[in-house]
Amino acid sequence: MAIGKEFAKGIYVENPVYRMVLGMCPTLAVSNTVENAVGMGVAATFVLLGSNIVISLIKNIVPKKIRIPMFVVVISAFVTIIDLVMAAYTPALHKALGIFVPLIVVNCIILGRAEAFASKNTIMDSIADALGMGLGFTLALLSLGITRELLGNGTFWGYPVLGQHFTPLLIFILPPGAFLVLGLYLGLFNWIDNKRKLSS
Amino acid sequence: MNQLWKLPFILMFTTLIAAAALALVNNKTKPVIEQHKKEALLLALNNVSPAGEKGKIEPVLKPDGKVDYYKCYAESDSTKLVGYIFTAFGVGYSSTVETLVGVDTAGTVFGINILSQLETPGLGAKVTEIKYGDTKPWFQTQFSGKKMNQLTVDKDGGTIESITGATISSRAVTNSIYKALEDLEKKIGGFQNKVKPVI
Repeated sequence: MAIGKEFAKGIYVENPVYRMVLGMCPTLAVSNTVENAVGMGVAATFVLLGSNIVISLIKNIVPKKIRIPMFVVVISAFVTIIDLVMAAYTPALHKALGIFVPLIVVNCIILGRAEAFASKNTIMDSIADALGMGLGFTLALLSLGITRELLGNGTFWGYPVLGQHFTPLLIFILPPGAFLVLGLYLGLFNWIDNKRKLSS
Repeated sequence: MNQLWKLPFILMFTTLIAAAALALVNNKTKPVIEQHKKEALLLALNNVSPAGEKGKIEPVLKPDGKVDYYKCYAESDSTKLVGYIFTAFGVGYSSTVETLVGVDTAGTVFGINILSQLETPGLGAKVTEIKYGDTKPWFQTQFSGKKMNQLTVDKDGGTIESITGATISSRAVTNSIYKALEDLEKKIGGFQNKVKPVI
């Protein structure tokens, strides 16, 4: 039961992007197409899973005062190892996800979950938390990616869907579009939340 | 006082373990990655070679033993020179774009192949984009058949269609090819002039 709850919370209640407003750097930077959104989401989930497992395993031997620098060392070492292993044994996957790996290092969701969750919970709960948060992050990126690619380029995953007569609003795939769309979505989710609170 | 020494020691120990793990992984993966790179380079070389797949590609070395450029011959045992292949480096928006360029003996571009780039995904990274339904990246194929004086992006008055929203990346690729072609011209002492005299 508890594991299911830890998994589910990342999707909506504690969604890293829309509810906790974490990981804004990759969210704004690589949500301009559906393909990028999925790539970044999958790569981040992968790293989050690994780092949560490692952190929850070593949580008892980490002195409290220096836990943050130790987490940073563990995470960056882990990201680099994943990058090298992917490049060596799954070159096709590395070609698709490789450009996102350096961006994951600056993703504060990874450190955030290590500090807020994995360092205080069991390994099974940490795995569930990582998968839930990863899925929530991927879904949030996907919502931005679909909107921005559709309006900014008239396509979905590179496939033209809006037809010849649609003039793409280029601003949506450029950086300002990221702020616009993210702001509107954040507003929408806050509005839904407020409505739910009022009715209950 | 004891704490003062204990904490840095633990942190140092952690970084040592991390460094050892990284060294180990790097050691194991390096030859495999190099092998992949070699295979990718060979494929890319064949891709842009004006001699085609049957031709022979021979590296011309710099004094320090590194490859300067490649000479392409029509058949594997023939000495008939048909063109050159060289690498162009252009500083883009967020990375150095490395491009392999094949030209014929007149200096006309035969084909280009971008080997590595870390430009912004969705914008500058479109230099390697393959559009839906296509088999080849549209930005790179437009270089084929271009002469040196055509090698500037449309915004600068040239013939290369730049990527919308990514002029810096488009310019980086185009200008680096122009520059590298200029260098090659000096190295080989000028291209063959194929222009027929006007009668």
